[in-house]
Formats: sequence, structure tokens, C-alpha cells
Amino acid sequence: MTSPSVRDGAVPRRRRGAPLSEKTFLTFLLAPGVVLLCAVVLYPLIRSLVTAFFDESLLYPGSTFVGFENILEVFRDDFLRLTYQTLIFTVGSTVFPFIIGLALALVLNQRFRGQAFLRGAFLIPWLIPGVVVSFLWMWIFDANYGVLNGILMSLGLTDSPIAWLFQTDTARGALILAKTWNSFPWIMVMLLAGLQTVPGELHEAAAMDGAGVVRRFFAVTWPHISGVAGLVILLEFIWNFQHFDTIFVLTGGGPAGTTSTFATEVYDTAFKGYDLGQAGALGLVWMLLLTILVVIYVWLSERGEKEGKR
Amino acid sequence: MTAIDARALTQAAPAGRGTRRRRGRVRWGTWAALLIIALFTFLPIYWLLVTSLTPSDKVFTFPPSFWPGEITFDHYAEVLGNPLIFGYLRNSIIVSVITAVLSVVVSMYMGFAFSKYRFAGRKSLMYFVLSSQMFPQALLLVTLYLVFAQFGLLNTYWALIISFTTFTLPLCVWMMKGFFDALPDDLIEAARIDGAGPWRVFHSVILPLAAPGLVAAGLFAFVRGWNDFIFALTLAGPDKQTLPPGLVNTFISEASTSWPALMAASLLVSVPVCAAFILLQRFLVGGITAGAVKG
Repeated sequence: MTSPSVRDGAVPRRRRGAPLSEKTFLTFLLAPGVVLLCAVVLYPLIRSLVTAFFDESLLYPGSTFVGFENILEVFRDDFLRLTYQTLIFTVGSTVFPFIIGLALALVLNQRFRGQAFLRGAFLIPWLIPGVVVSFLWMWIFDANYGVLNGILMSLGLTDSPIAWLFQTDTARGALILAKTWNSFPWIMVMLLAGLQTVPGELHEAAAMDGAGVVRRFFAVTWPHISGVAGLVILLEFIWNFQHFDTIFVLTGGGPAGTTSTFATEVYDTAFKGYDLGQAGALGLVWMLLLTILVVIYVWLSERGEKEGKR
Repeated sequence: MTAIDARALTQAAPAGRGTRRRRGRVRWGTWAALLIIALFTFLPIYWLLVTSLTPSDKVFTFPPSFWPGEITFDHYAEVLGNPLIFGYLRNSIIVSVITAVLSVVVSMYMGFAFSKYRFAGRKSLMYFVLSSQMFPQALLLVTLYLVFAQFGLLNTYWALIISFTTFTLPLCVWMMKGFFDALPDDLIEAARIDGAGPWRVFHSVILPLAAPGLVAAGLFAFVRGWNDFIFALTLAGPDKQTLPPGLVNTFISEASTSWPALMAASLLVSVPVCAAFILLQRFLVGGITAGAVKG
């Protein structure tokens, strides 16, 4: 494409004499973003994966090549435990928010007074900073003065206060509960957007044919939102698979490392154990698992795009 | 097809009489579900508010009282009067505002290129931008720490600003692309025929029309910088840290946590984010949907 060479009073005065060519302008448009993404995402990613094959420490310079030793150590020590613990958190923090988000989306998709206000108000848990979510639930789960123990004891359900965050099972449950509270509003918004594509007359027609609510949900509603639902579940899964904040603040991976995930373990190995090689190896294994998920995501969204064009 | 639709619509008005009772039951179930989810959502928020307003000696009693007997604003005064927290607040504002501005500038250019230009590698570049939000940040952080240390940027605002700006790009670029997509190509053609070069077409014709999109992207980037925890915790030293890690360091590390003050601080940190959302509401729902599902 050549830029027009017409020059009159309307043409802007430019430091360089002639207007920019379209090609130069395109380069200018893309350059800042590409540079940032390469410097902050691509290069660190590659370099930390390469570190997996070296013995490198945060405390002193220099590194020695050790081949697959770090990676083998991951599979010897942590792999099964971390995968299991990460999966518990990921599956729990995906399934429960999805159920709540779907139920709420269906309710708020109906017309009633105050519905618009509620749609906004229910977003609060998702809007507030992740650290605040952690503080709040930490306080609710507090063993000495926590409100949860208070409610349970005044109802007579337990005799003595429970140290929720200091026992493996309850700590896992607490993390999933806090994350559920934090992420169901986003799922609700996404599903509400999906529900807008369900034609209302289809529902009425099905109702007149005598189809009950459950039947209508599966026959009319679900086919229209299954695409969005699938993407939402997968995205939540990917995000929870690398979630850090809630776990780090609420339990710090404890008690005795039984709630740690790949995210907290990589962080602790690098910044508390100062072992960059080992952190890189953990990251490499973690990335391999994640890549599988991302490939599914791209494949699904590509399929969704094709369907949308039809 | 249209004929059938029209008939369905006209028949829809008088609902079948037999389904009325069943509808009543459904109504009931709907309200019950709404009530349970509302309790789950709003009780914790209520508790945050109550704790922040209750005098300390009333907070640390067991079992806790669900209604504050007397209300005090001491905890808010304590938080606002703490010079340490005031410093974190200043850092949060500086970092988030600069992140918002940079993010808008970078993403408007990139979004425009994706929207109105067809070039080799466009599709793969778009996938690269989109997939960059999938990489685990805890892993990137390890190397970023080393890189920033190498360039002497560790414990500076720039370490945070550069990281946050980059991580907002996938969503902001997509939001901007969506806004530019809605603008007709004829507009560009007309300006071009009038003799304007590409620089001028973009900055004086397109950009003013995309102003709402710029605001939306900027607010989103602001919130991203404001809410971040892990990067601010690691890349910034004590005097450059933002509020989220600052609050953890101030309150959690102590032997006994001052819960009422922490709840008051939590509320104060959440206010700007909720305010941004109210401003943003019109664009945000479309934005989150577009960013994830791809426009």
C-alpha cells in the first residue's frame, strides 16, 4: 500500500518530511506490545525452562550443566504428591464455583425487580483483591475467635473449636471454599452472557408441549450455553492449576506441605530454598501438564469460532 | 422459519393453565436457591464490615457476637494514621496509574493493528498474545526476578509497572480490537482520500471515537495493578511494595493478628476497585466475555 503524496495545508506537519508508509506505521503499532511480551513472558519462560537442566542458585552466581538430574528428582520426590494436591484444589475450585455460578445465572436470567442490582452486587467477591479474600476467610476460619467455630458451637454441632487451617482435610476444604467464593461471580457473568443467546420463544414452545423445567433446561437451554460452559470450565481449570495467592496467604502450603501446589512449590523452591535449577525442573513438568490444557482450550475455542460463523 | 417464530411468539402470551402449579413450585425453588447463594455471598462481607466497626475488646471474645453492640471508627483511624500503610497506598496509586496509562497506549496500537490490518503472521501473533495469559506467573517470576536484578530494576516501581502492563495486554488488546472492529472501514478510507497519512488517520480520526474503549481498558489495567500480590511481594522491596503484600507484611507476620484493623484496611483497599467497576460496568461484561471467549 502506498500512502498518498498529496500535500496541502491539511497534511500534518511531520518531523520527517513525508507521511509514514503504512508498513512503517504497522511496525510502530505492533512493536511495543511484542517487545513487552517477549521480554516479560517469552524470554523468562524459556530461560526458566532451560534452568531445569542446570545446577543454579539464587545466592551465588554461576551454573553447571546437570542434564536431567533435576527433572528426575522431581519425579522421584514431589511429582505424585504435587499433582495430586494441585488436582484436588483445581477440581474443587472449578466444580463448586461452576455449580453455584450456573444456578445463579439461571435465577438472575429471569425478570424480576432488583435483578440488575443483584447482578452487580453478586460480583463483589470477584472484584475485591485476592488478598482481601484470603484475609477475610482466614478470619472466618480463625481457630480462637473465628465466626465459623462460633456458629457451629452455638448450634451445638461441635464441642470444641476446630483449627480449620491446621489440619490437612479441613485446610484443603477451606482453600476450595475461599476460592469458590472468589470465582463463582465470573462464571455467573459468562453464563449469563451465554443465556442471552437462548431464544425465549423456544422455551415457551417447549413449555406448551408440556416439558418440565429440568427437561427444558437440558433440551433447550444447555445446548445454547454448552459452548460457553465448556470454555469457562477449562479456563477456570487452567487458572486454578496455577493459582497462587489464596494458598500462599491462607495456608502457605501447610500443614506440613499437604496443601501446596506446583505454584507455591516453585515459589518456595526458588525464593525460600534458593534452588533455581530445581524450581526450573518443577516448572518444566508443570508447563507440560499445562500445555496439554491450553492445547485443548485453543482447539475448543477454534471449534466454537467455526460454529459461530455457521 | 420466521413464520414459525412469529406463531410461537403470539401463542406464548397465554401460558398453559396446567403448568401454572408447577410454575409455582419452580418459583419457590428459584427463590430458595437465590437466598442460599446470597447468604453464602454476603454473610462474609457483612462479617468483614462488622469486625471493622467493632471495638477490639468485643472482637476478641468467644463466641463472637453477630451484631456490633457499639460502633467505632477507631480501626479505620488506626489504619489511615499508620505511616507504613500510607506509603503502601502511595506506591499502589503510582504503580496502578502508570500501569493503566502504559497499558492503554500499548494495547490501543496493537488492537488497532489486529483490527484493521491484514499482515503475514497476524493469526499466530494473536494466538501468542492470547496464550501469554496461560503461562504460570509463579514460574515467570523466578526468571523475571533475575532479569530485573541484572538491570538494576529490582525494588523499583518499574519492575512492577513493566510486569503488570504486559500481563494486562491479552485482555486490553482484545477489548481495543473489539472497539476498533465496530468502527467502519469507510471512515479510514474517507480520511485517507482527504490526504491524511496513517499516523493522522489513527490519532485524529479513530482514537477520539474509541475513547470509551480506552477508559475501559485503562480501568481494567488499574485494577490489575491494584490487586496483584505475588509480583508486588517479590519484585518490590519494603519501601516500594503495594498494598496487598504490604498488608500481609504489616498484619499477618505479627504473632497475633489485629483482625479489626486488617478488616478495616481490607475494606479500604476494596473501595477503589468497586468504584472502578461501577464506572466500568457498561463495558466490563462485554470485555470479560470477549477476552476469554475471543471476539
